Amino acid sequence: MIEVKNMTLTYSSGKGIFDVDFAIKDGEVTGYLGPNGAGKTTTIRGILGFMKPNQGSCSINGLDSIRDACEIQKTLGYISGEMAFFDDMNGDEFLQFMQKMRKEKNNARLKELLELFELDPRGKIKRFSKGMKQKLGIVSAFMHDPDIYVLDEPTSGLDPLMQNRFIELILKEKARGKTILMSSHVFEEVEKTCDTVIIIKDGRIVEKSDILTLKNSQRKGFSIKPSNLEDATKILQASGFDYSLKVGGIIQVFVTGENIDKFIKTSAKFNIDNFDVMKQSLEDIFMQYYGTKEDLS
Amino acid sequence: MILPLFIKTLKQNWKLLLIFFAVLIMYMGVMISMYNPDDMAAMLAILEALPKELLTAMGFSDSITDITSYLGSWLYGLLMLAFPLVYCIILGNRLVAKMVDNKSLSFLLSTPNSRIKLVVTQGVYALLSIFVLFAVLFGIGVGLTASIYPGLLNVGAFLKINLITMLLNMFVMMICFFFSCLFNESKQALGLASGITIVSLLMNMLGNTSEDLNIIKSLSFYGLYDPVEIALGAEIWQLCLIYSALAVVLFISAVVIFNKKRLPI
Repeated sequence: MIEVKNMTLTYSSGKGIFDVDFAIKDGEVTGYLGPNGAGKTTTIRGILGFMKPNQGSCSINGLDSIRDACEIQKTLGYISGEMAFFDDMNGDEFLQFMQKMRKEKNNARLKELLELFELDPRGKIKRFSKGMKQKLGIVSAFMHDPDIYVLDEPTSGLDPLMQNRFIELILKEKARGKTILMSSHVFEEVEKTCDTVIIIKDGRIVEKSDILTLKNSQRKGFSIKPSNLEDATKILQASGFDYSLKVGGIIQVFVTGENIDKFIKTSAKFNIDNFDVMKQSLEDIFMQYYGTKEDLS
Repeated sequence: MILPLFIKTLKQNWKLLLIFFAVLIMYMGVMISMYNPDDMAAMLAILEALPKELLTAMGFSDSITDITSYLGSWLYGLLMLAFPLVYCIILGNRLVAKMVDNKSLSFLLSTPNSRIKLVVTQGVYALLSIFVLFAVLFGIGVGLTASIYPGLLNVGAFLKINLITMLLNMFVMMICFFFSCLFNESKQALGLASGITIVSLLMNMLGNTSEDLNIIKSLSFYGLYDPVEIALGAEIWQLCLIYSALAVVLFISAVVIFNKKRLPI
């Protein structure tokens, strides 16, 4: 169980996160999404106890993130958003070092993880590619078989094949009842693995729901190719519909359920060459939260 | 203390210590071999070509005759302060601030070890390395003089000089360590640590050049004793206590601050 209670954590610049409040139940996989600089890593800093919040608190399995930071780490696997290793260490030396620091050695699991990610940890970490460093960080976070994972953009730098391997791993851990909080920009991986999604923007939580409800509650997308683009946009605008222009003179409009009738009647006022109902992917749903307020449709 | 972390810190920093060992042992060898027990005047004559102020600023005193005060003055007057100072500045930054700056500390904090244990381990390594540095230099100094000029060195006084120089350098180490724990950026930690310590060392050197400037010297923590006087029998226990107490206070404050502070990692 990961609990974030009314956490406000601000930096001297005035940026930060404000009144962030959520809980992740045991055995639940939650995706934490939001544009760059929205406050994902800051939230994770609070959960890990790296930074004391100005207000509110975080806890993991009832243990306070600041007071019991040491105890929490016994059952936690953490991937940092920015992999920075120690100078002049070999990859295998690093993994052994982390095992010793945790006083836990599970070489069978370590071997399994190295094979899953096809990682040969020998050699200086400094010479590793970005992807290899990321794999090393993943292996180090999973090798002690923790109950809870906090993962900050775990697949950044991985190729698509390895991203899939990672999804496999998460699904396997999920099946074993692990609790996971995962920040990500890869919608596919969130869609495939997460039960719930939390979206943060400008330091505040803007959406918190399970993926199914989120998908169902969303607006329908229509893609129209009008004969006269100018007329069509004018009419749509006059009726208060937000639209976006796509290549090839196509207009995309998202409409909520109660406005569908109004939309059909409005679009009957201009000539239409082609008409399509779009299958809205989760990515489209998330995208609404990513842009600035002005381009929200 | 966390043993695996201590070993890692040792692995990453023994080369740095070795470099300073090599430089200081070389100087020690040169200084001891330059000593001429029968004719100090002849040796001093060689240096007369240099301005007197320069020599006194370097801690060289011309009023000495025995090898203990000779080493106290020529070796422990400046060289055994300046070189270890550089070591302290570099190591102090590496032990904490650098790991916060490059965020590699997050790996240490994602293991079940408290911040206090982590940072105490780093501080203990810093102090131990200074202890080893001076213990070995003391041993080599005694060994070298015994083999070249048997019976001339006052080992008790030489031990005292090494003891106070070691404690002074431990205090300097803790200044650097303190700033390393205080700041999240290497740049700031290095800047303040080196600024304060280097200015103090320069004040000590400046104060040595003339009687009128002695006040500047006594304002610097480097200028609180004269190794030549210790060689001639001055007591040092009070000052030893002061340096130790200051080092302990800095160590504890550094640990407390590091334990509480926000880490942007």
